[in-house]
Amino acid sequence: MSGKRSRAQYEADLQAQQSPYVAFGTPLPPRDPDVRDDGSYVPVWKQEVRDERGLKRLHGAFTGGFSAGYFNTVGSKEGWTPSTFVSSRTNRKKDEPKAAQQRPEDFMDEEDIADAEDARRVQTVEGFAGLGSTQDDAVRRGGLIDLFRIEGETIGVKLLKKMGWKEGQGVGPKVRRKAYLDDVERSGDDADATHLFAPENTHMISFIRKNDRKGLGFDGETKLSSGPGESNTVKSEDEDDDRGLLAPKISKKKKPKTGGIGIGILNDTGSDDEDPYEIGPRISYNKVIGGDKKKKKPINGAANPLLKSKPVFISKKVAMAKASAGLRKCHDGRLPLDGFFLSTNDEFSSVIQSAGKYVPPSIPEGWKSSKQPKPGYQNAAYLSTAEAAKASKLDPKSRALILGEAALPGKSVFDFLSPAARDKLAAASGKSNLPAALGEIPEGYNMTEEERQKDLLAQIPKVDKYTADAALSRGASGFMPYGEDEAKRTRYRTFLEYQAGLYPILPEKPPGVSRDDWLKELREFANCAQIFKPMSGMMATRFTSSTTAPKLASDATGSSAPESLISKPAPKPEDPAEQAARLGMYGPMTRSSQDWYPTRLLCKRFNVKPPAHVQPGSTEHDEGGGPRNTAPDLVSKTAIDDMMRQSGGFNPNWNERTMENRPAEAAPAPVEKKEDVVVDAERNEALEGQRAGEAVFKAIFGDDSDDDE
Amino acid sequence: MAFPSKPLTQLLGSNGPVHALTYSSTPSTYILTGSSDRSIRLYNPSRPAAGPTNPLAPPTPTQLIQTYTAHGYEILDLCVSSDNAAFASVGGDRAVFLWDVATAQTTRRFGGAQGHAARINCVCYGGAGESVLISGSFDASVRMWDVRSQSGKPIMVLSDARDSVSAVLVGEGGYEVFSGSVDGRVRCYDVRAGRLETDVIGAPVTSLKRTRDGKGVLVGSLDSCVRLMDRDGGGLLRAYRGEGFRNDEFRCRSAFGGNERWVVCGNEEVKGADGEVVVWDTLSGKVVERVRIKGREGEAKKKIGRDGKEKEGRNVVSCVAWKENGRGDQWCCAGTDGIVTVFGPP
Repeated sequence: MSGKRSRAQYEADLQAQQSPYVAFGTPLPPRDPDVRDDGSYVPVWKQEVRDERGLKRLHGAFTGGFSAGYFNTVGSKEGWTPSTFVSSRTNRKKDEPKAAQQRPEDFMDEEDIADAEDARRVQTVEGFAGLGSTQDDAVRRGGLIDLFRIEGETIGVKLLKKMGWKEGQGVGPKVRRKAYLDDVERSGDDADATHLFAPENTHMISFIRKNDRKGLGFDGETKLSSGPGESNTVKSEDEDDDRGLLAPKISKKKKPKTGGIGIGILNDTGSDDEDPYEIGPRISYNKVIGGDKKKKKPINGAANPLLKSKPVFISKKVAMAKASAGLRKCHDGRLPLDGFFLSTNDEFSSVIQSAGKYVPPSIPEGWKSSKQPKPGYQNAAYLSTAEAAKASKLDPKSRALILGEAALPGKSVFDFLSPAARDKLAAASGKSNLPAALGEIPEGYNMTEEERQKDLLAQIPKVDKYTADAALSRGASGFMPYGEDEAKRTRYRTFLEYQAGLYPILPEKPPGVSRDDWLKELREFANCAQIFKPMSGMMATRFTSSTTAPKLASDATGSSAPESLISKPAPKPEDPAEQAARLGMYGPMTRSSQDWYPTRLLCKRFNVKPPAHVQPGSTEHDEGGGPRNTAPDLVSKTAIDDMMRQSGGFNPNWNERTMENRPAEAAPAPVEKKEDVVVDAERNEALEGQRAGEAVFKAIFGDDSDDDE
Repeated sequence: MAFPSKPLTQLLGSNGPVHALTYSSTPSTYILTGSSDRSIRLYNPSRPAAGPTNPLAPPTPTQLIQTYTAHGYEILDLCVSSDNAAFASVGGDRAVFLWDVATAQTTRRFGGAQGHAARINCVCYGGAGESVLISGSFDASVRMWDVRSQSGKPIMVLSDARDSVSAVLVGEGGYEVFSGSVDGRVRCYDVRAGRLETDVIGAPVTSLKRTRDGKGVLVGSLDSCVRLMDRDGGGLLRAYRGEGFRNDEFRCRSAFGGNERWVVCGNEEVKGADGEVVVWDTLSGKVVERVRIKGREGEAKKKIGRDGKEKEGRNVVSCVAWKENGRGDQWCCAGTDGIVTVFGPP
């Protein structure tokens, strides 16, 4: 045995080999121990179901459940893992989007879902259908209509039939006429024989209610398959069939019969009779061999009981021929009124109509309209407002004048342009509609030379005569700024002389210097002279006027203004020496001199005699680390020295010198300077001064308990 | 005499900008440089520059003679005693170091509790027999130190300046001490007369030099101008400016040269590796020459500024020294490049 046998083969083989004579039932298993016992003889309840691979697929002690999960567990090979909860500081569990909640639907199959959907629909039992329910309107309506609609023939038809009317005939007295034999020529005298015939059936005109928004006579897009006339006729037949009088025209939903573009399986509407692969205009071929092509008309029956007449198709040709053959009748079967004839043109010959059938009447000769057009108006070409505005000769100003507007204060550039400049501008810009140049000269420029000079003079900074004199005198005594620039110094001197009145002529503006530069320099000179004030002026600058009024007693009680708290200190006046240095006026202005006290040791090291004002004791003092670094004694040694010196009276020169400008920290102030401070030992200002009001103390220190007591 | 604009040699060795440069005292054979690499170097510019040496040849004396290392901060100024036996150096250490030239050891350090409270910008000898060292500091004070005594305290403290003292100078006869400060003033302390004369310059003063007769003081300030001020009257004798001369950032030390015929000062308005020294005629105040200082060759070290961006490298000549205190025919200059270039007559 080469391959593995299938189970069926194996069984067949087994039976063939072991028990070939068993025709019915199950043969007993072979007694050979080496033959596999497939359990075929075991009772059903003991049998084990194995698949074709011999694996046990049915499990479960009681239910005979099938194998599920992993070895009949709910887990997987990896085992059952509980859902984990992980939340860290950076990745909060609660911040996470909510895990999709399991819905019952997730565990339902389609059938269950359908059941659930069914269960959801709330409805009343049909037997409980109350009044007002519209559910079975159709049923009820049908019942009502059944009352009016008569099955079979109506009573009118029955009456008519009794009166001899037959279907297909018209109503009315009989008409004598020749028989219509459908163009079949009849020979003999029968041809002219007339008979009484029932009148022709007259079709009632059914008016089509127009409830679309298409144009009159528009039938929608024409189809290739059917001519307009044809379709129209057929339609009218259909209408006759289907609808009653004045029935609203409900357009039948026609299947799209467009070409193949866009039509595919995907556009399948699901109807079986539509061939999704149909391409091109639908041509109805015979799909059944031998089948006739006749269109199956809907059977007239209960669906259309009111119209029993069989529609007859009359082709257009026949109709036309009939019309042309003789007199035609109106739709009601009568002849047209005398003097009238039926129009040969039907609705389809509108083309002919528009070709000038009814020409307008010709205007009689010599007719004149009573309305006379204004002469010349029509000849004028159309002018837009802007063009008309352009054509006007008025400029904005004159327009404003006409309109009575007040003139604007400003002036245009063009007011100051010369006409030549304006032409240049117009040529450059290519615009011809620039305002006219007025060529005005702004005031200040239309001055004469004399006036101009006067104006210039007015701009020259003024230095008062006193200052200029002082500056000149200082210059004569040796100091004059601009030491490095001799020409400038000369100009400065000239300027000063002019200002002092010594030199009545205006200082010449040097050629090649612009007016502004010249004025700037003159301003600088004036500044220079201002800085270089005489000594009294210098002294005056040392004092500044007080910026705040002295505090009055009344002010103290009132609350001070809040802005005073945040008031900015006035900017420090610049050091005149720095100012002078900036202007380059180095010299006495920038130099200041004061006494300096070299220590004795320094003098010794420099091998010079100590200056006369260096006090003899200062050496020790300075060697002690300098006055700044020493801790202040209660009574400093120098102070004692001073007192000693005063009492002793030696070196009388000393006092006068130090009085003037000795730095405060270099040496203590002499004691005699303090004489003006009167100390009254009997009286303590701090304790015995004006005491503040009791309310103040109370407000500060008082508390509630005080009040209680 | 034409301006000696021929570069003779370049003294290398500094590992950073050179802030202080001085010739030794007469006969000015040596050059001392104080660098920001915390060491002072002594050069002999007359020796040939170190070139490719033959290893078999006996060692030849090099230009760099001695390196003095004791400072813990950059060195900002130097002064050499007249007998060339000692020199003083100051810098960021807040102490004045007095060196023995031969042993390369500091003999004195003036500082401590009574010393400067901030870096020292300038130093000079003063007094009779150079018995006093005068130092000006960032703490807006000038201190005078006694070289003779062993006391560590300053003889005198001059606290008149309202801003950092950037230059000190001893006047003619040794009786006057000038101090130039960033507050824009030059103060002249007359020891003999006991007077202090303050001249307002306006811009921060960075450099002070005097004419030999003591009548004029050359004041360099940070307004792109070097001024020759009249000592007596305080007037301006001459201002040295120039097209393309700028000095408003660095402490550019100016100097007299050629027997006070020229005024030389380094220029800040430079770009690239080369520096420039502007030479004025003392009398006319006109720019005579602009000497190009060849900078260090090769790729310069990239400098990152405080804003984190790369700084454009430039070589500003910050110090100029003339041989024999302005009388010789040789001069040298150094700057941010760290190279000392010695010029001589062509």
